[in-house]
Formats: sequence, structure tokens, C-alpha cells
Amino acid sequence: MNRRLFLKSSFATLALPALESVAAKSVGAVKASASGPPMRMVCIGNSFGMYPKDFFPNEAGSNYAMTPLLAPLERHRKDFNIFSHLDHDVKGGHFSVHTFLSGVKMADAKGMPEGNISIDQRAAEHTGAATRFPSLTIGSEDGLHGGCHMCWTRTGVRVPPIEGPRELFRKLFINEGERAKQEAADDLELRGSILDSVLSDAKNLERRLGGQDKDKLDEYLTSVRDVEVSLELDKRWSRVPKPKAQMDEPEDRSLVEDIPVMYELIALALQTDSTRVASFEMAGTGFDTGFFGLSQGYHALSHHGQKPDRIKGLTTIEYYQMEQLSRFLDKLKSLKEPDSNGNLLDSTMVLFGSGMGNGNAHVNIDLPIILAGAGFKTGEHKAYPSSQGKRVPLCNLYLSMLQRFGVETDFFGTSTGTLNGLELA
Amino acid sequence: MSIKGFFSKPLVAGWLGLLAGFQVCVAAEVDFDATAFDSKVKPFLEEYCIGCHNEEKQKGERDFDELVYPILDDEALVDFQDILDLLNLGDMPPENEPQPGDAERQEVIDWMTGAVAHAYDSRIITGGETVLRRLNHREYFHTIGDLFQMNMSMFDPTETFPGERVVEHLDNVGDALVTSGYLLDRYLKAADQIVERALPWEEKPAQQSWKFNGDFVQQPELNKRHMRAHGQRYLNIYEAPNTVRRFGAYAPLIAFEEGVPEGGTYEIRVLAEAVNRRHSFQHEAITNDPNEPMQLRVIPGHRRFGFLHMPQPFEPELGFFDLSDDGPQWYTTRNWLDRGFAPRFNYVNGTMDIRPSFRAVSKMVIENPDPSIPKPDLQEDYMVVAIKHGGVPHIRIHEVQIEGPFYDEWPTASWKAIIGDETFDPKKTRKIIHKFASRAYRRPATLPELNSLMEVVSGRIKKGHSPFEAMKDGLKSALCSPSFLYLEGEVLKADPSRLTDYALASRLSYFLWGTLPDEPLLSLAKQKRLNRSDVLSEQVERMLGDERSDRFVRGFLDSWLTLRDLGDAPPDRNKFEAYYEGGLESAMRKETELYTRHAIDENQNLSCFLDSNYTFVNGPLAELYGLEDVKGLDFQKVALNDPRRGGLLGHASVLTVTANGIDTSPVYRGIWLLENLLGTPPPPPPPDVEPLDPDIRGTKTIRDQLEKHRTVESCRECHRKIDPLGFALENFDPIGGWRSNYDDRAHIDASGKLPDGSGFEDVVDFKKILLDKQFLFNRAITEKMLAYALGRRIEIMDRPTVDGILADLEERGGGFRDLITLVATSDSFSKP
Repeated sequence: MNRRLFLKSSFATLALPALESVAAKSVGAVKASASGPPMRMVCIGNSFGMYPKDFFPNEAGSNYAMTPLLAPLERHRKDFNIFSHLDHDVKGGHFSVHTFLSGVKMADAKGMPEGNISIDQRAAEHTGAATRFPSLTIGSEDGLHGGCHMCWTRTGVRVPPIEGPRELFRKLFINEGERAKQEAADDLELRGSILDSVLSDAKNLERRLGGQDKDKLDEYLTSVRDVEVSLELDKRWSRVPKPKAQMDEPEDRSLVEDIPVMYELIALALQTDSTRVASFEMAGTGFDTGFFGLSQGYHALSHHGQKPDRIKGLTTIEYYQMEQLSRFLDKLKSLKEPDSNGNLLDSTMVLFGSGMGNGNAHVNIDLPIILAGAGFKTGEHKAYPSSQGKRVPLCNLYLSMLQRFGVETDFFGTSTGTLNGLELA
Repeated sequence: MSIKGFFSKPLVAGWLGLLAGFQVCVAAEVDFDATAFDSKVKPFLEEYCIGCHNEEKQKGERDFDELVYPILDDEALVDFQDILDLLNLGDMPPENEPQPGDAERQEVIDWMTGAVAHAYDSRIITGGETVLRRLNHREYFHTIGDLFQMNMSMFDPTETFPGERVVEHLDNVGDALVTSGYLLDRYLKAADQIVERALPWEEKPAQQSWKFNGDFVQQPELNKRHMRAHGQRYLNIYEAPNTVRRFGAYAPLIAFEEGVPEGGTYEIRVLAEAVNRRHSFQHEAITNDPNEPMQLRVIPGHRRFGFLHMPQPFEPELGFFDLSDDGPQWYTTRNWLDRGFAPRFNYVNGTMDIRPSFRAVSKMVIENPDPSIPKPDLQEDYMVVAIKHGGVPHIRIHEVQIEGPFYDEWPTASWKAIIGDETFDPKKTRKIIHKFASRAYRRPATLPELNSLMEVVSGRIKKGHSPFEAMKDGLKSALCSPSFLYLEGEVLKADPSRLTDYALASRLSYFLWGTLPDEPLLSLAKQKRLNRSDVLSEQVERMLGDERSDRFVRGFLDSWLTLRDLGDAPPDRNKFEAYYEGGLESAMRKETELYTRHAIDENQNLSCFLDSNYTFVNGPLAELYGLEDVKGLDFQKVALNDPRRGGLLGHASVLTVTANGIDTSPVYRGIWLLENLLGTPPPPPPPDVEPLDPDIRGTKTIRDQLEKHRTVESCRECHRKIDPLGFALENFDPIGGWRSNYDDRAHIDASGKLPDGSGFEDVVDFKKILLDKQFLFNRAITEKMLAYALGRRIEIMDRPTVDGILADLEERGGGFRDLITLVATSDSFSKP
């Protein structure tokens, strides 16, 4: 069967998930609209949450007393909100951390209208082919009990992460040389004919197996289609040179040392409009605590058992994360938006949080959540009801963010509406 | 409701399950009165069971309100089987509830036995099926290595594949092995890498030689000090590989950063010297054991993976030497190096943390009154002083020579496996592709499959590529075909309940070797003889004797005992230095692997996993266990005179993987035991329970805390089953060392009482109880192995198969090797 025919027919008959919708977009206009800078989204998450006592302020509103873990963000105080008592109402400890950006457990995805798609991927579907990378997902394959895998497509597949600054840098800034370019073009051609070939094998297999286990074959066929679509995208973008790098190619060091470099690269990716959606998973495993002079692992410290020395170790690591977040906000503020008076933070929503609440108890409730930028009214500790029956789903915040991003939808994950009390400035 | 979640678990029944299957078979022949359910059984259930197991209370997540006969679906069958099991065991109703009379109970048991047997008989064909299962990363890796006859020690084509999902710790469950665009994209890239790597050139590369001396560069922080101390004359190694800072732990050849130009065998010669082995520093400062020879290890490194002075993903041992004390000596090794890799050097038993020691050492040098020691320049950096005058033990490399590539055979094994002839003849392309595809697809390639590959080849030729390049593109295409990527459960036309011989060959081969079937298996499949039980048994014997079956050992232990998680929660470096110093992480894994290998080779009774009087240790592990007379890194079998250590529960691997690196948790270990050794996982905590927020300050022990937790009724139900098992192991610290007290000196109480009333004082006692309940363990490991062999979850319809295996196993004497054979020759194994 001819692959292009197949593609056409599948477009005609199937709902278009993830990459398909990207391709659909790619047919249309590529450049951002003239009506101001594009909206952007950055989502950052860790595996073990934030030590609640040092993180959440005691008072709601804008006059809250600074807490030890928010201290590094003091200079941005007016530019972010901190939320308490928001979560996804799931259980499972480490095994549910992956719900942070989706609100839906992997295992429950089948019953949901959009599966367990994560907010960043939902936003990326919207951006489509407008940028070279619909989204950048940075993180690690490792991680205790499934790590903090945050980014999921609507078909329930985890978006594989970019694992180090070097890889990210090369993706963003390194153009293939002329010869490599030719090779790459030839490679795309070869991939095309391989896809034709395997497609016909799949059809034959279907016949031979008498239609049993259709799910698995469908999965394979969908994969062929997805690769096909991304091939088309690659072809388009291979003609557009990548932006010039404003820094040297970085070395991969350790997860801890790489965090500032990753933030730097994310900022550059946004500034050059290489992408408008980025997510950053800070997995617990591989978090080299020796950097802080600690002998115990990050995960072990999260089980502090209320021992003061362990809490001190844990909050040292968490403080570092907040320092780096603060520097990232500095960076976004320092970058001017082209053709506008504003800076990058004005059009970038920065979400920081975790799918884990209190790490010591291994619970996924009362998640630590910070949101900065993108023109929301900020500067407050927004405390939501903590009692059963009155609680507000975190997905309501995500719905508000998606709408702000420009996605026309009235639900996301387990949302019951947009988030009350979150307004535009 | 609750049953739904329950059903997906491996066939479990209450927390105590079960009975051998022959009873089922016998009872099935008794006359069966279907109407007795309403007249006898239902009233019995109402009297003794439904008081707790009703829709409202759902004790143990069971609700029998709506139970009807006939048995309509698998969920109902699970209920019937559970009730039967617990009546048989006498575990239900609970002690403190009204009990049925013996005759009454027996009557219901007899009827239920018949009802369940009928249900199995009538539903047998619609049972679990493994139709199409994708190769997982582990299998893909081995398959590629064997298909291309390729050295895989520095090459992992699955490196960039998205992580795999595990189900009940199994990494090969078909429906969880998802294929996505991301994965297919990487399959395409991998196929390209693999084929280009296997067939890189048609000409034999010329040999070259390299020599390095006088231009050594240490890692950045150390280098400027070294330059001042003795220029670039030496490459020094101070620390062991596994330290915090890796300060002078990996010695690379910076001048050879680009690595070797072609993959091949290289001779590496190192002129190395053991310096200051017999030092007199205290262990706190310099941890080297002065009585051991210094150990030099050669490993590869590639700039692609980052700095060469840091650990990298591929570190196979290329050479290992005990250094002589007689000055610089040549040490030579010949080994495979992949293109772009360069040798690096480790000091295996080096010191742990040299940087702070350097400061102390320089102070000692400066303050030393001995006039024979030259006074250092006091303006000099302390580290330079220590390096130059400190007498710190280190390995000093004077020169390195590299020569190669050599080829033991030419053309290479890969070439011969794929091309066959010495040179490539374009006219034979179709033949080459056909042979390759039939091997890769693990059955004769069909005509349409062959044609689709040839279309790729001819298309590429039309685009102007050479016939050789085009042929390679055809191979790449085969590696992305579903016929390669998926194991097919193709069935016999004559009997759709049985796999074809080719499908059976693959199942057997992936079960025991984690790779594609070899020539003998394929030829048996071709002759349609493999499905005979005696032939299958013979093949199992042959395959277990082949070293590829070590992949079964590793793969099965990862899935059964969760050993793949070792290292996810690294132990406290200060408290458990031995873990890092002695390389215990890999050593403890090795112990359990050797132990399991031994159980296969000697057909040890399954009880050896619960208790025994031997194990396998090397020096560092022996030290952890307090065993004397074992030195060095080689493993040996040792007798255990101490009854506390025998069996898996004394293995450091199990004890470490069930701790979090800093504390032990009886809850975690208890659940692990229930899940993996006894096959009776507890249900998750009820929704309205306040989670345990551990507070281990002060004198409150974990026992006090859990006791408090158990005062909540909804917690008690499960924790009385979980906690005692974990407490039995409390004497083992987070890396498996023995302890009598906690850090705060509180005495450890490892006693407990199981729900059935049997009490124990410590782990020795506890193991006796476990041995009494070995039938539970046997069932759990059988179900796990069957699931691993089939690549799918075990379902209720597998019950007769499992019962049958257990009955046969008992007859044969209960050996581990017997179990493997019985699984491979079981009914389920040759079914789709």
C-alpha cells in the first residue's frame, strides 16, 4: 500500500491526536501573529516535593511573612503566586508523582477524554508547527519508582526527555554542515521508503494473524503515522537555519550542576522562538548530593523522619532549587521581547511544583505550586480550602493557564472550571 | 468495584492461598449437582461469610452479596476460588467468629471444588493470550548482538529508547510494552547505527600504533598541581572509581581523546608502578589497605559521554592487574575497542576521598622534623606539596602503548553472518536479504515480506546508491518491521489453541536466553518436532547449559526480586562507606545471581531460597557478613555456620533493595515479602486513612509508631499481616549488615506474631515458619516464572496450569531446574 495514500486516508478517518494536529497546523501559517508576542509556558517539577513547613506561608494574601524556602524568590515577590491546598486527589506516593502535569494516573488514562495528556503537551498541540520544536521536554529516564516523568501525550506515551545540556544545546543551535545536510536529506528519504516497507509488513501481519490483537497493530500503525508526520516537519525546518548560539557548547556535568545551564538554555530557546513550551523534570535519582557536602541521598533525606539534621540536608537541596528558579526569573526579566516594550517573563508562564506533597509521608496532596509571569495578577499566597468536599483541583489552575495560552477549551484533566481568584493583571 | 483492581494482580487468594491442584481434578469426576448452590452453599455463605464480606463492609476487599451460580465471568471465578482456598486452609471464618461444623464445611468444599473445576473446563479456550508482544529493550539488545554476531560491550542501540513500563515488576508484559512514534523514530536511528556498525568497511583496516609518554594530562582541578609537581611525566591515579568527587579516580589519555579509528581488537600496554603501597596513614585519611596489592583496571571511555575523568555508561573491564612492588612494570592486555573509544585507567582499591587528605598530608610534610626529608617550598600550594612529598599511595603510569586493530578472523563474524561470502556480490542481494529476514523474523520470511524489503533496495539503487549501501538499507528496513519487533503468537491452522513450532521456538528462546532462537531450535521448528514434550525438555536442558541462560537468571531476578532497582536509593556515604569502597552494589547482585545459577545447576529444592547453609561471596561482601578468610574480588561458595544469613532473606541485595539507603522500614520490607516471596500483596491503604508521617526523633522506635498506627481499625486489618514480616528483618541494616541496636542504641526487637498466631523471636525462627509455609512460596515463584515465560499477567484461567505444575513439581522433588522445565512444558506455554 502506498504510504501517502494511507496517510491521507487516516487523516480523513481518525481523530487527530498529538503529532497529527501538529501537521494539520503546519499546513497553515507558521509565523506568530502580529498581535503581540507569542504566549509561552515553562513547567518545572521535582520528585520529592518541598518540605511543607519551610515552604508554605502561614498567612494568605499579599502580606504573608516570607518563608525560608521562598526566600530566594524575595526579589520577585510581586511577580509570582504561591498556592496551597491544590492537588490532584491521587494516592500512590512515588508511583503518582507522574501525575503532576496531567492530574491523571497512567493507569486511569483510558477512561479520560484526553487520556493523561500533560498541560505542556496540550499547549504544544496548540503551538503546533509554529516553532521548530512544538515542545522541549528536559529530564531523565532514571528515577525512583518511575521518577518524576511529567510529560505525557494524549495516547498515554511519555515524551522522552532531553537528558543533558549538551544535547539540548546541539538541538537548539547546531546546524548540520553542508555534507551532513545532504546526508540528512538522504536519510529522510531512506526513512520514507522504510516506512513504506514496514507498513506493508504490518498489513500482511494483520492478515496472517487473522485480525487478533488489533490493538497492538493499531499502536504500531499509529507510530508509523506519527513518525511520518514528524518527518514532514523535519523536512520543513531543515530549510530554516537555526539561530546563532549566544554561548559556548556546554559540557554535561551532573544533574545538580547542570540545572543553571538548563535554565539558561530554556531561556534562550524561548527568546529565539525555537519553542514556546518547555518542561524540566528534576528527577531525584542522580541528584548528586555530594555537591552540597551531604553524604545522604536526596530520596533518603526526603524520608527525614522529623530528624533536624536530615531536614536541614533536605532543605539545602530544595533551597538550591529555589535559588535556580529565582535566577531563571531574573534571566527572563532581563531578556527584551523583540518588537515590544515588555520582557520575556511578561509573556511566559512559569510553573514550579511537584507531584509529591509531603515527601516524608509520601503523599500526593497539598502540592507545592508556584506560578509566575504571563500577565497574571501576582504577589499573593492563594490559600484554597483544605477540608474535604470543598477542595479545588489543581487542574483548575491548569485550565486557566491553557486558556491564557490561547487554547480554546473548557476542561483539562480533572478540572471543574477555571481557578477562582486567579485574574489577569 | 473492589474486585476489579484485585483481579489484575497475579492470581492471589486471601493472604494465605492454597492447595495443590490434584484435588480439583479428582473432584471434577464426582457427580455434580448444580442446584445445590441455592439450597446449601448460599445459605452457608450467608451464615458465615456475608456478615463481613458484603457490599457495605467489604472486608479484605471482598463482597459476596451478589454471588450466583453458574459462574458467569472471571471475576466471579476469582471469588469462588478464593472462598474455596480459604475454606480448605481453615483460615476463614476468623477464629473469633462462629464456625461451621466439619461435615458442613466439607460439603461446601466438595461442591465448590466441583463448581470451580467445571468453570475451568468450560472456559479453558478463552483464557489469557499473548498474541503480539513487542521485544523489550533487554531482548532487543541481545537479539541484535546475536543476529549480527557483534561485540556489544561498548554499544547499546537501546540507549536512547524511551524507558520501558514494568507491570508487577515484570519488564516483558505485552500490553504494557507500548510502541509510539518516539520509539519507532529511535528504532529507525538504531537500525542505521547497527547495520553501519556491523558492516562498516569492505577493506581490512590497517594496523597502527600509538605511544603516549611525557604528555599526560590529569583532570582539570588536579592538572595544574601536577604540572607544578612533576610536569606531564606521569599519569597518577589516587582514588577508587566510586568516590564522591572522583578526584584523580579515572585516568584518561587526553592526547588520545578521539579514540581508536576503527572497531577491533587492540593491544594495550601500560608501564605502571605501584607507589607507596605500604603507607602508614590512618584509615580515616587514606583508606587503602597496605596489605593488598594495588589493582589496576583498564576500561574504555568515549568523549561522546562527557568528560573522560568521570564515570561513563560503558565500562567493561578490558584488563585487570595486581601491580608488582618492584618499580615500573609492563602490563599488557588485548581486548575489543569500539571505534572512538580510548582506554582509561582505574585504581580499583584506591583511597576514598583524597582531597581533604591532601591538606592533612601537606601539613604533616611541613611539620615533619626528619632532616632527610627535603623541606618543601612553603609558598607552594598544599596539594602540590602533598603530591610531591606526601608519600600518598597511588598508581603511577609512565607510558601507554596501543596497537591495532587486530582481527582474529577476517572477514569479521558479523560479515560472515550476514553476507556469507568473503566479498559482497550484488547478484546475491535477494538471497542475503532473504536469509537475514528469516533469521531476524525467527521464521521463514514470507514472499510479500521479502518483496517489500527488496523494494527498499531497488528504490535506493534508483536514487544512486551503490548496491552494497542499498543492501544495507534493506537490512535496516527489516529491523524496523513489525515482523522483527514483535513476537507473534501464530497458531496452528489445525489447532488454534496451540502455537506453531516457530512461535514456540521464540517463546522458549526469549524465556531462557532473552534472544532469538538458534539454529538447532529453528531446525526442530522446521521439522515440527519442538512441540513434543520430550523434545522441549531436552532443549530446556541444552539451553540451561549454555551461558546465554545467565540472561534468564538476571532477567528473572530483576522481575521477581526487583533487583533492577538496586542503586536507586544510594546508601548514606558516611555511614555505609563499605558499600562504595568495596563495590558492594554489584557484588550483592552477583551473589544472588550466582546463588540462583547454582540452584539451577544443582537443581536445588526451592526451599534453598528460604533458607540454606551456604552462599557466594567475595572479600568485601564477606566482610559485610562478618565471614573470615575470604579476600579479593573473586567470588567463592562458602558454608554458613550462622543460621541467620542463609537464604534470600540474608542476601544483601534483597535487604538493600527493600531499604531506602538510610533507614529500614518494616512496612516496606513486609509488603515486599508479601508481594514477591509469598505472592499475596496487600491491598492499598483505604482512602480515608491519615498517612503515616514518620517521626523517628527521640526514643520512639518504629515499632512504637507502627503499634500506634495499628490502633486504627482500618489500618490494623492489613498491617497485622505486613508489619511482623518486616520486623523479622529488622536486625539487617539498610545494606544488609547485621545490627543488634539502632543508631540511638535502642535494642532491636525482631520478634513478631503472624495473623495465624504463630510467633517468632528473630529471623532464624521466622525462616522456620516460612519453611512451613513453603507451599505459598512455591506457588508465588511458579506464577511469577510462568508470567515471565509467557510475557503476560497470570490470570484466573491459568490456575489449572499452575496447580498442575505444582503437583508435578512435588512429585519430582521440588527442584528449581525442574520448575523451569515444568513451566516450559506446561500447557499454557505452548498456547497463544
